[in-house]
Amino acid sequence: MNWAVFYLRYIRRELSRRRARTLLTVLGLALGVALVIVISGLSNGLSRAQKTALNPLSSIGTDLTVTRTAQTQNPGFGGGNDAGALLQANQSVITDLSKLGKPGTHFVHDFFLPGTQLTFPASQGARLKSLPGVAAVAQGLLLVAEHQSGTVPKIVARLKTGGQTFNIRRRIKPPTEAEQQQIQACLQKNGVTIGSPSTTQNGTGGFQGGTGSGRRRRFFVGPGGGAFAKCLPKRFHQLVTRFTTPLQSYRQVLDPPQTNIRTTPYTIGGVDQTQPDIALVTPSQVTKGRYLSQAGGPEALVAGTYAAKEKLKVGSKLDLNGTSFRVVGLVSPPLGGQSADVYLPLKELQTLAHEKGLANVVLVRADKSSSVSSVKKEIENNLGSSAQVASSSQVADKITGSLVNASNLSHSLGLVLEILVAAAAFLLAVLLTLSSVGKRVRELGTLKAIGWTQRLVVRQVVGESLAQGIIGGLLGVGLGVAAAAIFDAFGYGLSATSPSGGSGANLLGLGNTTLRTAKQTIDLHAPLTVELIVLGVALAVLGGLLAGAAGGLRASRLRPAEALRRVE
Amino acid sequence: MNNAAPLFEVRGVAKRFRRGDAAVAAVDGIDLVIGAGELLALEGPSGSGKTTLLQLLGALDRPTEGSILFEGRDLAALSDGDLAHLRLHAFGFVFQQFNLIPTLSALENVEAALAPAGVQGDALPQRAQALLEEVDLAARAEHLPWHLSGGEQQRVAIARALANEPRVILADEPTGNLDSKTGADVIDLLAGLAGMRGTTVVVATHDVTLAARAPRRVAMRDGRIVNEPTERPAAASVEALESRHLN
Repeated sequence: MNWAVFYLRYIRRELSRRRARTLLTVLGLALGVALVIVISGLSNGLSRAQKTALNPLSSIGTDLTVTRTAQTQNPGFGGGNDAGALLQANQSVITDLSKLGKPGTHFVHDFFLPGTQLTFPASQGARLKSLPGVAAVAQGLLLVAEHQSGTVPKIVARLKTGGQTFNIRRRIKPPTEAEQQQIQACLQKNGVTIGSPSTTQNGTGGFQGGTGSGRRRRFFVGPGGGAFAKCLPKRFHQLVTRFTTPLQSYRQVLDPPQTNIRTTPYTIGGVDQTQPDIALVTPSQVTKGRYLSQAGGPEALVAGTYAAKEKLKVGSKLDLNGTSFRVVGLVSPPLGGQSADVYLPLKELQTLAHEKGLANVVLVRADKSSSVSSVKKEIENNLGSSAQVASSSQVADKITGSLVNASNLSHSLGLVLEILVAAAAFLLAVLLTLSSVGKRVRELGTLKAIGWTQRLVVRQVVGESLAQGIIGGLLGVGLGVAAAAIFDAFGYGLSATSPSGGSGANLLGLGNTTLRTAKQTIDLHAPLTVELIVLGVALAVLGGLLAGAAGGLRASRLRPAEALRRVE
Repeated sequence: MNNAAPLFEVRGVAKRFRRGDAAVAAVDGIDLVIGAGELLALEGPSGSGKTTLLQLLGALDRPTEGSILFEGRDLAALSDGDLAHLRLHAFGFVFQQFNLIPTLSALENVEAALAPAGVQGDALPQRAQALLEEVDLAARAEHLPWHLSGGEQQRVAIARALANEPRVILADEPTGNLDSKTGADVIDLLAGLAGMRGTTVVVATHDVTLAARAPRRVAMRDGRIVNEPTERPAAASVEALESRHLN
């Protein structure tokens, strides 16, 4: 290394004594490197974010998801009328308020609805396993949950009685002979005198004017009036009772219950925890805690975003209609398709939602990636048109939002930008080196005159550029790391949105809740890797070498005599 | 020594430059023989071809026509690498503009000539320092060129030219940027150091008084030698050399 000492010292002198130019070159390269590092870092961050968010199915080892979405026509999968089935499936939303508790007391209840994603017997999904090209099949139950809490309402029935009277006229049969005699006997017995019975010999007699001889006869109702009433036959009694009771009419109006009920919607997924690799949520998505135990039981996984919103942690209790579920892990479910806020073992959710033996998602893994499209066709043929078979790429396509935009941007623009920035930095270094060589023509000519070989002169020029490149690279890495750290510190949230829980039409007014979209906000980071830093330095060194090569080439073309003829 | 091959043997050398459509001959039909240990002044006005001839002698350029033999070797037949080797070990250059490396100190400027010759380690600064002492600049070794006066700079250049014990020193208007007193001092120094070492010195100058101090004068006009005497008393040269050696 001894021989190099002088040349290195010369480089150092050259760089330190031409400070302004060195600084400009170094800063140019540093800025270029820093920008490339930051852009690459952001691009990496985006790719990482994208991997978690945009490639949901492939990341859970599933190639296809099969759902059955309610349609107004085309009975297929499971047969029957879909509209009816949809109503049936969502019946539980029609609340029998009396079951919530006594009016006025507080209640908390979770309602589970399949929404537009209809359920079907799990056995139908399992059937898909026998199709050619299918490697594995798992069931899932993805429900829209309405968490309601509030005061149980009183059901108020107001009754109004109307004063309307009905008048009924009726012809009453006169008393029979036997009745008259009975009355007479009764009256006499009670001391009521009635005219001589003899005068009634050829008349029919009675209470009113008879048809007989024309003589008018009267009843005498004396002090024994009560007795008269008493002596009337029962038939007359009844008649009197009916007519003296006024008729009443009822009108009943039942107002809708006044409540302070709050509804919080969320999505809940039943996970086939026995097949974790292709279940709705997989162990690889667990960010904290652990996955559901193989045996199932009252355990729950909660999506990180939902956990943050609801202040849930690993170990928290989640009370769902009287069953306490322990949160065993937080997950970062992929966006798109079939994701949920809360995951329970499939059996637990089936019980909770009264959907025993039912599922509404079948997750299918093909035996190899090339057979995905053929399997998709196979399933569509097998299940009919009401079955929606989505491949992972289709799901990813449905995802929109700033993350996607930024990711697309980074993919298309990032590289271009990096190349531009690097090229600009290189160009600056090259131009400055060329200008430096141009200004040092006489100096380099002198070196040749005093016996420096071509190789030595070029090596000197390249060495200077290389040294600038190394310094610029290191400075650039420093700048880039600092910029990335600042970026991380301030953070920038990118969101990704995807339709979740089926894609049916807005049926029965349930659309609002069932067509909720899943939104995931991912903080954009600029993760720096050793490779990236090495790349940064390498870029700067490359820039230095490039500049050195340009300068060296120019220096080497210099005929010493011409160089010396130049006068600065 | 007289029977030995001359140091330089220049035969019919021309150097033409293309200037636009016309070819301009900077030197044309030069024949010149320079013996070892001579002190020769190339005199003539600007543009007479002194510098071009000096550069051709110093292997900084190749002639368009003719041949230059140095110690019997045709320079035209040598590669660039061989020429660089000659420049390093056989030739020393002194320029009108001094041509010191501006970013290097006086000491380092001398080192710049020693380093390619393989001088390294402690020997490098020691030898450079010794050379600066010879030109009486030891005290200013750490100064950068622009902190030195013109005369001092030219003395550093002389130390640099002498660094590798060259056989020839080619000086192009070494006093052109100096006042006459300093110029005279510089020439005395150069002639003295070269004389002590037996080094041949070729000085190009337009300064007649300076040229007059040289034992041999070659006048040039328009790229040609105009008064080079073909015959000259060899004794004069020998005497001059001897007297210089005795100094």
